[in-house]
Amino acid sequence: MTRQRISVAKEFPTMQRICSGVIGFGSADTAWRRGRRLSVAGSLVVAFVASGCGTGMVAGPAPDYEVARALREKLSSATEGGDAKEESPQGTGWATLKGRFVFVGTPGAAKALVVDKDTQVCSKDGMKLYDRSLIVDESTKGLANVVLFLRNSSRVKNEVSTDPLVFDQKNCEFLTPVFAGRVGQPVDVKNSDPIGHNTNIAGASFNQLIPAGDSTIFTPGRETGLPVTVTCNIHPWMKAYAVFREDGYVAVTAADGSFTIPDLPAGEPLEFQVWHERSTGRSGAVSLERPELKWNAKGRFRIELKENEVKDLGVLEVSADAIRG
Amino acid sequence: MEYLTVNTLSVESGTCTRPSKLWEDFARAGCGRSRPGKTRAFSDAGEGETGDSRRLLRTTGQMTGLRGPSHGRDCRPATTGWWAGVLASLMLPLLGTGCGQTAAASYRLNLVESAKQQLKPEQEQQVANILAALFGTPDEPFAPAECGLDEAKLKLAAGPVRSDIVGRKNGLYREHCAHCHGVTGDGMGPTAAFLNPYPRDYRPGVFKFKSTERADKPTHADLVMVLRNGLAGSSMPSFALLSDAKIESLAEYVKYLSMRGEVELALMRAFFELDDEDQGKLPEDRDFLIDEIVMPVAESWQAAEDALIDVPEMPADIDMAASIAKGKELFYGNKANCVKCHGVTGLGDGQVNDYDDWNKVVVQAYKTVEGSLEQAGETSTWNMDADEAAEHRAELAWLDRYQRVLDGNALPPRTIRPRNLREGVYRGGMRPLDLYYRIHAGINGAPMPAAKGTVPPEDIWHIVNYIRSLPYDFNGTLGVDRPMMARDRL
Repeated sequence: MTRQRISVAKEFPTMQRICSGVIGFGSADTAWRRGRRLSVAGSLVVAFVASGCGTGMVAGPAPDYEVARALREKLSSATEGGDAKEESPQGTGWATLKGRFVFVGTPGAAKALVVDKDTQVCSKDGMKLYDRSLIVDESTKGLANVVLFLRNSSRVKNEVSTDPLVFDQKNCEFLTPVFAGRVGQPVDVKNSDPIGHNTNIAGASFNQLIPAGDSTIFTPGRETGLPVTVTCNIHPWMKAYAVFREDGYVAVTAADGSFTIPDLPAGEPLEFQVWHERSTGRSGAVSLERPELKWNAKGRFRIELKENEVKDLGVLEVSADAIRG
Repeated sequence: MEYLTVNTLSVESGTCTRPSKLWEDFARAGCGRSRPGKTRAFSDAGEGETGDSRRLLRTTGQMTGLRGPSHGRDCRPATTGWWAGVLASLMLPLLGTGCGQTAAASYRLNLVESAKQQLKPEQEQQVANILAALFGTPDEPFAPAECGLDEAKLKLAAGPVRSDIVGRKNGLYREHCAHCHGVTGDGMGPTAAFLNPYPRDYRPGVFKFKSTERADKPTHADLVMVLRNGLAGSSMPSFALLSDAKIESLAEYVKYLSMRGEVELALMRAFFELDDEDQGKLPEDRDFLIDEIVMPVAESWQAAEDALIDVPEMPADIDMAASIAKGKELFYGNKANCVKCHGVTGLGDGQVNDYDDWNKVVVQAYKTVEGSLEQAGETSTWNMDADEAAEHRAELAWLDRYQRVLDGNALPPRTIRPRNLREGVYRGGMRPLDLYYRIHAGINGAPMPAAKGTVPPEDIWHIVNYIRSLPYDFNGTLGVDRPMMARDRL
């Protein structure tokens, strides 16, 4: 790919004029004054080069206005509905999906986090905090904190519960490294430490002070898509992920790598998204070699369940190719 | 001649072929001959039909006080011809630079996000086309009716600076805002890199200083207030000298750019959500573009007017000294925890290694690039098959472009500066009410968290009172115990 230089002209015509003026000044002048003026012009040129006349800005594509005009007309003339959507087939009844993720290979030792604030609590009695982005169970090799969620639910069995889920922090660590919730279901954001924290959920514009021993309620208002980060700005090493789904068909693998998603719509094609923090795939997508599930590079697989079926995917082996060890 | 050459050269090659064409048109229309690129085309122009235009040119020249160079060559035979040539050669660059000679302004694509989403060139092209369809160009803005934007106000703010009716000026955004905020509203105008804090990038649709709850958009009045008062302590000046109508139109235009930027982000993120059957192309129907992409953005802006923070009045009979003492306790205590970022001295020297949301995007992107490059460097390529090798090369090409995009299309990230509370300068306004808003809802986009829910309103008022006392916080002899010495004292 060639490196293109975008002129300021496009983005800022006046600037272009000034830039060209400066260059023009130097070259159009008479010889006896040129020396002095050139130095002035030169310093101006240098200033402009630094400011953006010549920075290595990568140029994006220019819009095709013919296409754009046609599209605008189409959008303004189309009445409600527009292109008819094909109805996806609906089945009846419910089913369960389960399985277990296992890490193949040797996970590297977890890095100790730099804890430099509130050490009387956060490093109490020489306690150390470790990076939790890869947790592999020693005996079962189970891979914890893999997220699975359904992408296309046509129907939902259970109503949104009003019982709050708990998201707690203690010893300057979020107790749930990867948290799954449902849109509309309240989350009780707690702080079990004797010091104050704040909980900052990216994308949700939720960032609240949680005083020592206190809690506050957060009710997610929209889906997250892939998991988003949860941080504490007071203690920058604190980090967790959260995923909120409209239909609640989401699971996070347990310490032994196992997961169960009950009450899934049966008799229709389902597509699941799989995510892990340390995935080598794009945006955390975990892709495995499972052709029978049509598992693709975006970390999605497809499956259809029969009514009342409890489908066990068995052991899903994740190699160091898919997740950084 | 000199000027013409200079002008032609200065216009980016390839992007602008108009000077010579303009010359031809001009020569054909005004002087009966066409000889592109030569001043002589005018100097030896014949009499007759060209006389009027030459007179006109001379008059224009006299009116504007323009003078020809004394060393004009081959200027005979007619002096009128010479004058016409000189004037034309002087006017051409003016026309060239001033009257539509530079390429029409265009919006910059959000390449940082596009690189993050690993969009292919044809996908970037699709986003650019859809955005042009939905929002037009900087010269001809447009917005879907669902956005509820006032087209007349947008027109006043958009386009190059110009005047169509005496006394009325258009192109207000480019006159007053674009040099910092950029034509696209990406906070990357030519002066942006020199400013600290950086100018706001409107595209994520996040604004700091507002009267609404944290997650909500600012109201129209909030934007107008920022325009009118400026942001104390930053480079954002007050535009109070502009008429109400102009400020209104600029506020509307900021909303327009912000909605456009949010739609752009939503479109770029939507590629990941596509199914395999879509073959990497976004659907271009109303259901998707308007209902799924534009509507949520438009609705969030329309909902702002109903999301005002409910501020209980500070009790009139409040004991100020006691309130300040209580506020101090909260400031240092575990409940409000202000001290962690604003520092034990209140000088804003607590937590200073954090980033705001705009800078964090760039910081995280650099981390991704560095991590992936490191990983790619460790990958052994010798035993790869053709497919794997191609994939590896594609990955490297992507990382290379990502890096260049971050270097060239983003400003170097800067850490936050928690406000120095000893100065009495507050970006979002110095009224007690403004400080209440900031503490209640936090500052959206910045690490400053909301106290709402865990700190009751009366305590927020105590903190406001304490903060307002901080610039005058003397408890010793003036000169010995000044605030600036606070750090040493503690």
